[in-house]
Amino acid sequence: MAEQVWRPQGRTRRSTRTVRVRACVAVMAVIVPAVLLVPPLAQLDQQAVDLAAKLQPPSWEHPFGTDDVGRDLLLRCVYGLRVSLFVGLVAALVATVIGTAVGAAAGALGGWTDRVAMRAVDTLSSVPHLLLGIFVVAVFRPGVWPVVASVAVTHWLSTARIVRAEVMSLRGRAYVDAAVSGGASRWRVAVRHLVPGVLPQAGLAAVLMIPHAMWHESALSFLGLGLPAHQASLGNLVQTARGSLLAGDWWPTFFPGLLLILPTLAIAGLAGAWRDRLNPRRRSELTL
Amino acid sequence: MLELDDITAGYDRRAPAVRGAHLSLYPGESLGLLGPSGCGKSTLARVAALLHRPDRGTVTLDGRTVTGFFHRAPRSLRTAVGVVFQQPRLAADPRLRLRDLVAEPLRATGRRTEAGPRVAELAERVGLGADLLSRRPHEVSDGQLQRACLARALVLRPRWLVCDEMTAMLDASTTAALVAVVEDYRAETGAGLLAVGHDPVLLDRWCGRTVHWNEIVKH
Amino acid sequence: MTPSPPATGAGADAPRPGGTGPVLHVEDLSVRFRMPAGRYVEAVTGATFTLAPGESLALVGESGCGKSVLASALLGLLPGNAETAGSARLADGLDLLAADERTLARTVRGRRVGLVPQSPAAHLTPVRTVRAQLEETVRELAGPGYAGHATEAPEAPEAGTGPAAGGRGTSSGASDRPARRGRRHRLAALRAAARAAAGRAAFPASHLDRHPHELSGGLAQRAATALALVGDAPLLLADEPTTGLDRDLVERTVDELRAHTRADGRALLMITHDLAAAERIADTVAVMYAGRIVEIAPAGAFFGSPGPRHPYARGLLDALPERAFTPVPGAPPELGALPPGCAFAARCAAADPLCRTRLPALTEGVACHHA
Repeated sequence: MAEQVWRPQGRTRRSTRTVRVRACVAVMAVIVPAVLLVPPLAQLDQQAVDLAAKLQPPSWEHPFGTDDVGRDLLLRCVYGLRVSLFVGLVAALVATVIGTAVGAAAGALGGWTDRVAMRAVDTLSSVPHLLLGIFVVAVFRPGVWPVVASVAVTHWLSTARIVRAEVMSLRGRAYVDAAVSGGASRWRVAVRHLVPGVLPQAGLAAVLMIPHAMWHESALSFLGLGLPAHQASLGNLVQTARGSLLAGDWWPTFFPGLLLILPTLAIAGLAGAWRDRLNPRRRSELTL
Repeated sequence: MLELDDITAGYDRRAPAVRGAHLSLYPGESLGLLGPSGCGKSTLARVAALLHRPDRGTVTLDGRTVTGFFHRAPRSLRTAVGVVFQQPRLAADPRLRLRDLVAEPLRATGRRTEAGPRVAELAERVGLGADLLSRRPHEVSDGQLQRACLARALVLRPRWLVCDEMTAMLDASTTAALVAVVEDYRAETGAGLLAVGHDPVLLDRWCGRTVHWNEIVKH
Repeated sequence: MTPSPPATGAGADAPRPGGTGPVLHVEDLSVRFRMPAGRYVEAVTGATFTLAPGESLALVGESGCGKSVLASALLGLLPGNAETAGSARLADGLDLLAADERTLARTVRGRRVGLVPQSPAAHLTPVRTVRAQLEETVRELAGPGYAGHATEAPEAPEAGTGPAAGGRGTSSGASDRPARRGRRHRLAALRAAARAAAGRAAFPASHLDRHPHELSGGLAQRAATALALVGDAPLLLADEPTTGLDRDLVERTVDELRAHTRADGRALLMITHDLAAAERIADTVAVMYAGRIVEIAPAGAFFGSPGPRHPYARGLLDALPERAFTPVPGAPPELGALPPGCAFAARCAAADPLCRTRLPALTEGVACHHA
């Protein structure tokens, strides 16, 4: 046996995937500590105006340059990303809870509950997301929570659909038959077998929703309907920098935009890797 | 007595999988139902286990006419029939350890205190080692999982057993072992058996009486 | 005439024609899975066998004995935590275990090794007709140069698939190359080739425009077989092709596979737990237990007289309902924790201390100290 040469299988596929996952992890490893730690610890004033240094291109002193009143854009971007990520995270959480509850109820109970819930979902879905979101923020005063509500109200719909479909497919499984035959009540089947079965999918949908929610927040802020203009958010930063773009100053819009795209790609990449692990076919490959 | 009278059932009312099927099973009797794949015998097995509401016809179980099926069947009637399905992979919740899989009916019926000793006894009976009980379905083979599914079907001591192609995915040795477990249980409790399958050799050897699908349905 | 290697014609009459090299030569094939904490699960250990043209080998054993892993290894479909050792060489010397994914995808799967799947309903795409799937497979496997050969296909169903088939050129198709290679002509050729492929698997042409769910189990199996035969691969690999089918259908499926093997000089490796199907199809039976081939014997001797020599194989046959219908006592060992001696010793009535300490080697077709 000693002379046996063992060859690993499927190495190439594995390594490209690992590289991608590592890149995503690296992006998040820079961004998350930055937005979590810099604002509370650094004691720097993101609003510090320095009119003498307005619209400076990126330099060692100001790596992202400065804006039209001389505020440091790196700092503004960190604060903006912090707000955007917070809104994205909370909104995704709220939307997932609502969506999972509605979807699971509709899927598990069926009948009239299902019909009513799904028609409501269809009706809301037929309204353009941004329009519905604008309606919600318009009712309240600008601020973080109206934006969260606006995002949550528009985004639980897809989760409800995913969860319902998943629950319906699980409901037809033989193991639900076996549970019913073993005396399980409707409630027990739902809580013990159906909902735990959809939680990974719902979690995946929640993670994928974070970048979605960030973009929604940025769009609202860009339109001037989101967060108040003085509060740095990625959307506000792009919005205020629009004017300087026409003057040929690229950095005030470029860096906030980049910080919107990078976490989006990183989160989507990580979610993709997670989905690959969830995929039951891949799991069953490991069985003998 | 388990009686299916003039059962028409299926998933689409316009094209029922089963048309006018008659079947009666006496207590303690073992009946093999032989039919080609896709003939609707699994649907009939689900009706017999009170898991599927027939479009027409009546099911009588121990003298009571069954009026509700699936969740609407009274729990005492539902649990009087134990079911084993063809594909153990689909019949086992992938998140439950085999120990919990077998104990689940006891918990669902509020008898969780009995679970420990009963699961141990059944595991021994179906030939599942103690180390396998702490595994999840994807960590065991089809044969081992089907053993657990059979244990689950027996855990509430049903008076009737419905085995829908129980051994179709299994090798000869596991087939013989599981059939022996079912027969031991029946000898001990006098439970009746409806074994649905497509292998005449197996059903003839296993069951006291074998009927062919064509003999029980209307044409 | 078949454009296959010259000696294949003999394969039509004799299962083991002398003088030709084996279609598949598996030597000392082992597969293990890396588990957390540096553990290994030895799924297959030291499997050695050869397959001659026209030969059918049935690999039998209970679920979890490693036979499906062996099939996955031959197709290069093992998961990422698998490691292999040994070799599995095709007739042209290509080692399936050492080949990279690109080679396997472009020149092996479908072209040199055809797969007959376990559940045809799941193998076929539900949203497309059988014809569409056959035509796509023909196009994929043959490439754009197919048009010339395809016109021949109805008359000479065994027409090779051009350069893709690894140098197995066509002897008949080249002469009648059409002058106009218009789109319409290529399409017609493709349709003819797909029809011919269906015909080879006895799939009725009238059902070609149906979707998989409109087919009975038997026809779905034939459709899947037709897809496997398109590439005219010299080796067919059937992984539990009869699971869940009823007896009549099992016999028909097995007979059809048998016909494709013997008449066309292909080799068939069928992996199954169904001993009746194995008896019907196999020239050779290999019994696998706990990752090892414990017995490999001619089917006639194995199922008839003198019968199997390994106690596990005997037990397996005795478990059949038409025989004693008694199970082999005990349970198979865990592949991650195999005993030092014979893996079957714990369940074997004839086991002695030697069995428990020394691993019996596979000699003269059986791995048992007492055979």
